[in-house]
Amino acid sequence: MRPETEFIQTIKDNEGIIYKITRVYTNDRASQEDLYQEIVYQLWKSFETFEGRSKRSTWIYRVALNTAIAYLNREKRRGPSVALDLEFDDQFTEEDEDLEAKLSLLYDHIQRLNVIEKGLILLHLEGRSYEEIAAITGFSKSNVGTRLGRIRQKLKTNIKK
Amino acid sequence: MELEEMKMLWQQMSQKLEQQRLVTDQIIIEMTQQKYSNRFNKLYFFESLGTVVCVAIAILILVNFRKLDTWYLVTCGAFVTAFLLVMPLLTLRSLQRIKRLSVSQFSYKEMLVRFEKSKHRVLLLQRGSLILSALLAVLILPVFQKIFKNEDLFQQDIELSLWISVGVMLLFLFFFARWGYRCYQSVTRSAEGILKELEE
Repeated sequence: MRPETEFIQTIKDNEGIIYKITRVYTNDRASQEDLYQEIVYQLWKSFETFEGRSKRSTWIYRVALNTAIAYLNREKRRGPSVALDLEFDDQFTEEDEDLEAKLSLLYDHIQRLNVIEKGLILLHLEGRSYEEIAAITGFSKSNVGTRLGRIRQKLKTNIKK
Repeated sequence: MELEEMKMLWQQMSQKLEQQRLVTDQIIIEMTQQKYSNRFNKLYFFESLGTVVCVAIAILILVNFRKLDTWYLVTCGAFVTAFLLVMPLLTLRSLQRIKRLSVSQFSYKEMLVRFEKSKHRVLLLQRGSLILSALLAVLILPVFQKIFKNEDLFQQDIELSLWISVGVMLLFLFFFARWGYRCYQSVTRSAEGILKELEE
């Protein structure tokens, strides 16, 4: 398979992951679209050097999360940009309005966490094992467990407020 | 909402997203093209443009440096030239260092440590340059007065309007510097907090 075709397929297979990461790390639609594009660009840049040295999902999470950090640091100082008009609107139909409302609440709780916690909770919600979270984030497996325990407590306190 | 409930909700959303198509082949191809990445280089472009302007002014002063014929004008000229040459280059260097960080090379933790450290360095640099900018704004006046009008501002009876202008400018710079310093303090504290947490 040609690298371009393989890359397009990889993005299509994982577009949901990229969407969720962009939503956690941004506050508005325009920034979300910008970050989405930047992640795809960074994935393309490292696609040829990836060569299956780690699991494909590990590579995607790592590049996407690191790009989100870089984006957060750069965003405030960046000038206006040209949008590619991604179809992010109308992700959920009217019958899903209840789900969308609950999701907004969920994102709101995640947004209140700091940048370290955001990455960890996102991977946990994605159903990644402690081992894989450790491989993506660089924390030890036991440290991941400890940190997630603390996040759980923090979320409980925040939700009660 | 408990964590388990959050997890269920997340799974529900993931399933919905799997059924939908967000991007087409064409959009993915467009995203990978260099023309797209260029817009992310805009910041660097404007910083570079600022550096060019600063260097051009510094060259202008250097070319006319012999016109500065007293020790105090030479001191003012040397400070202004050094500031205009060194500060923008230091800023560009720190930006370049951030830009060079490879997103695929490091783990999330390493990336955060590197960014927070870089941010700390940039903030220190900007804090220093903010204070020196106030000095620059004042010292550039006698230098330009001498170069362009061949007048020694220190030896002249300075008009009241000029004193007022300098006073207003210094007052503005004072409030601007105070505001900037507070912003930097808060960002620096947050960066230090993240670094401390990462070390745990």
